[in-house]
Amino acid sequence: MVLRPGSVQTVFPELETLSPVIQLERDLGADWRSLKTAAEETQTVLFELDQLVSGKASADSSVVVTGSLGRKEYTKGSDLDWILLVDGAGDARDQQTFLEIDRAIDAAERFKKPGREGTFGKLAFSQPMIHHIGGEEDSNSNTTRRILLLLEAVSIGESRAFERVRKGILLRYLQEDRGLFQRDHSNRIRWVPLFLLNDLARYWRTMTVDFAYKQFDRGNKGYALRSVKLGISRKLMFASGLLACFWCDPEISGIPAPQPRVQNLIASLNEFLSWTPLERLALFFSKHLADAREGDFLRQTALALFGAYDGFIEMLNTPEVRDHLEKLPPEQVHTDPIFKNARAIRSQFRQAVHDMFLDNRSPLYTLTIDKGVF
Amino acid sequence: MTRIGFSTGALALGNFEKALALLRGKNTSAIELSALRTPELPKLIAALPSLDLKEFSYVAVHAPSFFTPEQEGTVVRQLMEVPKEYPIILHPDAVHDFAKWSDLQAQLLLENMDRRKADGRSARELQGWFNRFPEARLCLDLAHAQHVDPTMTEASQIISTLGSRICQVHISELDSNSHHHPMSYSALRAFAEVAYSIVKDAAFIIESNLVESPDPSVQIDDELEKVRNLLSRTEWDCAPAWTDQSPACVH
Repeated sequence: MVLRPGSVQTVFPELETLSPVIQLERDLGADWRSLKTAAEETQTVLFELDQLVSGKASADSSVVVTGSLGRKEYTKGSDLDWILLVDGAGDARDQQTFLEIDRAIDAAERFKKPGREGTFGKLAFSQPMIHHIGGEEDSNSNTTRRILLLLEAVSIGESRAFERVRKGILLRYLQEDRGLFQRDHSNRIRWVPLFLLNDLARYWRTMTVDFAYKQFDRGNKGYALRSVKLGISRKLMFASGLLACFWCDPEISGIPAPQPRVQNLIASLNEFLSWTPLERLALFFSKHLADAREGDFLRQTALALFGAYDGFIEMLNTPEVRDHLEKLPPEQVHTDPIFKNARAIRSQFRQAVHDMFLDNRSPLYTLTIDKGVF
Repeated sequence: MTRIGFSTGALALGNFEKALALLRGKNTSAIELSALRTPELPKLIAALPSLDLKEFSYVAVHAPSFFTPEQEGTVVRQLMEVPKEYPIILHPDAVHDFAKWSDLQAQLLLENMDRRKADGRSARELQGWFNRFPEARLCLDLAHAQHVDPTMTEASQIISTLGSRICQVHISELDSNSHHHPMSYSALRAFAEVAYSIVKDAAFIIESNLVESPDPSVQIDDELEKVRNLLSRTEWDCAPAWTDQSPACVH
């Protein structure tokens, strides 16, 4: 049986043989046990959710989880960010289905409610996600759902609507990208989808602005933990999205160039996006460790990046540390030893991401400078 | 020139004689004789020797889309009466016992399914069916493929991986309740993104439902014209409207 990434099936059997992260860990002789623990816990939770929602979604709807579950990094304090995604003819019964799923999840008394913004734990429709990209109608919630659906989402059980919508969003980005597949100033075919890249970059900046907004709105409550998450898991999401755009270039993916058609690019992007953010990065390193002239540089960068992320997950999975960071007043962060440790991990991660994209020894350097900055 | 025609079921439900009469003089070169419901099949089989089909260079028969395991043997025996040169279109999800179909498999065209079905929808799922029926060919239903994946990525993958098996194409518009309709601008635009890459000897069978049309003759002409226009388009014609230079793929 061939298991595909991005559906709940993927994370059940044979985790070790499937995960590019585990493969990279072995190749590098590293030990990222917190990542493994979180991935195993994700399996358990997804299995439980599968039992809870089984048979409730239809061919036109999917239960989609995002956030830490979507990244296969479920830890003890994780929220359950989910939506019932509907992609079909209007049917008032969809709300009843949503409520039925919501009740089943509540009754399990196992899962933490989604954040207070109201983006998740909702019924959500495909049309605005596909049609409202940019412009007045593209609300913060709409952008968030759309980008998370692309970058860190897993469907539970029935996945047909989820898969259709993800491809539908990609079609919007690719069909309206005027220079895609055209030759650029250096007479190279442009494979990198810039409309998509720009929206991902916009969302990353939106997250950083919303970070400041939440301090304002919540009187700095939860500052320390949010600050660490912004600099690590949120940054990872953007980095993996940027990489997905660059992965479209056959020189980066190493995959023979397909006919430059929108449908071919949707197929390859959809496949790459079906991996988790960390898995995407692992695929990149695994691909280039072996054949890059700068193998040592990439090896060190990967060790630093994944090592930092493993440390981050360990922090989140230690209830007293997480709780401490959640309650730490902003005025104490400069002297607090736990936050200092968190900041050191964040700095290591930041430097590794910087090296991955912006060091001139990286295969991504030219594309990052050429397409990712201005 | 690509052979184009209609499914009789799209013109007159369960009444192939009426459908054939509607098509007289329409300059169609292909026909699919539909027996989508099991009771229609014996009547069609019995009539086959006497039907005047000489204006069609391509004739196919559509097998029933549903039958019980108990009916399956009878359905297969009846289909064995279909002349060997007429392909038989079969919905893969209708099959209960593969072994019963083995003698017919070289005549079978497996059809890709719409999104309501649990199997036979994608290139990957169809490949599983062709592993069971290696001699069978494919009836590509563009509307079903669009229903499964409106971006036409799945259609494109079916064509790129199974293109050499395509013998016939079904074309119509499918609404979100899986009902067939005359083709709209939107459907034709989606089909145009892949139609140019379909093998040129595949027959195009229109399934747009005209059963309740007040003027079927006019609508038959309209649907035929839409398909002729579609097939006259090249890959270059199908590039996005903003493209101001030739697609990179031709270099």
